[in-house]
Order: sequence, then structure tokens, then C-alpha cells
Amino acid sequence: MKEFYKNIGDALAMLDGLEQDLNIRHFTPNELKVFYTIIIRAAYNEHGSNITDIVENSGMSRSTVYKTLKKLSTEGIIQLHQSEEDGRESLVVLNS
Amino acid sequence: MKNFLTLSVTSFVFSTVLWVLWHFVDTHVLFLAGKGGFFYLPHAARVLCVVYFGYKAIPGLYLGELVGPYALDPGIYSFSLFIPSLISVMSVPFALTMLNSLGLTLGHTRSSPLNRRNYKHILLITFISAGFNALLVNLYMSRNNLSFPNAMTDIEQVYRFFVGDFLGTVVVFILLAMLLIPVLRQARN
Repeated sequence: MKEFYKNIGDALAMLDGLEQDLNIRHFTPNELKVFYTIIIRAAYNEHGSNITDIVENSGMSRSTVYKTLKKLSTEGIIQLHQSEEDGRESLVVLNS
Repeated sequence: MKNFLTLSVTSFVFSTVLWVLWHFVDTHVLFLAGKGGFFYLPHAARVLCVVYFGYKAIPGLYLGELVGPYALDPGIYSFSLFIPSLISVMSVPFALTMLNSLGLTLGHTRSSPLNRRNYKHILLITFISAGFNALLVNLYMSRNNLSFPNAMTDIEQVYRFFVGDFLGTVVVFILLAMLLIPVLRQARN
């Protein structure tokens, strides 16, 4: 059993290296939650997700989501575009 | 024996979960439907389980390879999968044996020629095993006049297998790295 956990530890160390090179290890839990939500939403809408959808799907408050999106945008992970259909909404697009 | 059972169950569950996820994306996600050949997620289970658990993981992986197509969605393939699945599972041991014969033995320290704690080395194993899988499975299929639904067993399929296995594994690695951030953070502290 000890060996099993040692093997899992090695696998986690491998993923840790990948995480470091992808530069995603500094994400806070809130940022991760928003980031996962954006990725899941991106699978359904390639033009971007609107912030209201992200707020609803992440289960976080609007102000926390806004703050997190601003940080992700500053880091160049996402881009915010004005929606063409609804001028009051912003669309969140993942940077490729 | 307990260790063997634990890693067999882990390998089986991991392989089956990835197959179900892949099959769902390939059949239900609109813009990815039918393109599953280009991101075959279950290859990640073969690589990770054989690299980290050793050859003892093979029975669990083999069972996982068969359960998806036979038990969860029977009838999707018109031919027996027993030999192609075995070849696919064995592609990782083949890759490790080839690297071993070149002096690149698998270890877990910085001085090991192939360090299983280094994701770049794991990607090399993935690359070579994807090549073995693509060549050997398609060779078997072509020799026995077998083909997947709506596809021909030709050089394009060899390419699709190779790219699909490699990309699928990369996608799983990135997803795992992202999903396990809280766990990794706790392990570091």
C-alpha cells in the first residue's frame, strides 16, 4: 500500500512540474473556480461566455467574479469583449 | 496482493472513466462530435498506469479497454476488440522496453535517464507508445481486413491514431494538473 501512495506521489510530482511550466499554480481557489467555469462554458459557446452565465454557473457573487475576471484579464489569460447582441454585457474569451 | 488489487481497480476505473468521457465528447459535444479520433483520452490511462504502477496495471487496463465498447455501448464496433485492445495496452510496455534497450531506464530520481517525476519524459513515452499503437493496431486491422465504422484502415488512420493518442494524453495531463491544483498546493505546504 505504501508503494501505491509512493507511485501516486511520483505522478503528482510530474503534474506539479507541468503546472509550474503552464504557469497556473498561483491561482487562488476563486480564480480556479472562475477559470474552470469559463473553460466549461467555452465548450458550448466558442464566441465567448457572458459574465451573467459565469456568475450563475460558478455559484460566486457578481463582485467576486468581476474582480477575478479583471485579474485573469490583466494576466492575459482571458479577454473581455463587448457583446454585439447586448451592449450591457461583456463576453469572456479564453486567450489561445 | 492488496497492492495489486488496489492498482488494478485504480487502473480499471481510470481507464473506464476516460473512455466514458471521451465517448461522451465524441458523440454529444456538438463541435467535437465525430472528431474523437484526434483526442483519444484513454491513452493517458495506459501511459500513466503502466509508468507509475508497472506491468501489474495491465490486467486492469485491459479490462477497462473492453468494458467501454462491450458493456457500456455494445455494438459500436463490428469486430472483436480482444486483440486490438491488448496491442493498445501493450504499446506502453513496448515503448518502455525500447527505451530501456537504448539505455534509457525508467526511474524516479533526477539522475534516472527517464525520470517519471518529469512530465517531459512521460511525454516522450507517450509519443513512442502512440507510434507503436498506431502502427501495430492498424497493421493487425489491415492484415485481417477490419475497419472502424465510417473509416478505412489506411495511412490516414495510422496518423489519426498517433495524433489522437498523443493529443488525448496531453489534454488529460493538463486537465489533471488543473484539477489537482488544490491537492498539489496542499502537498507542497
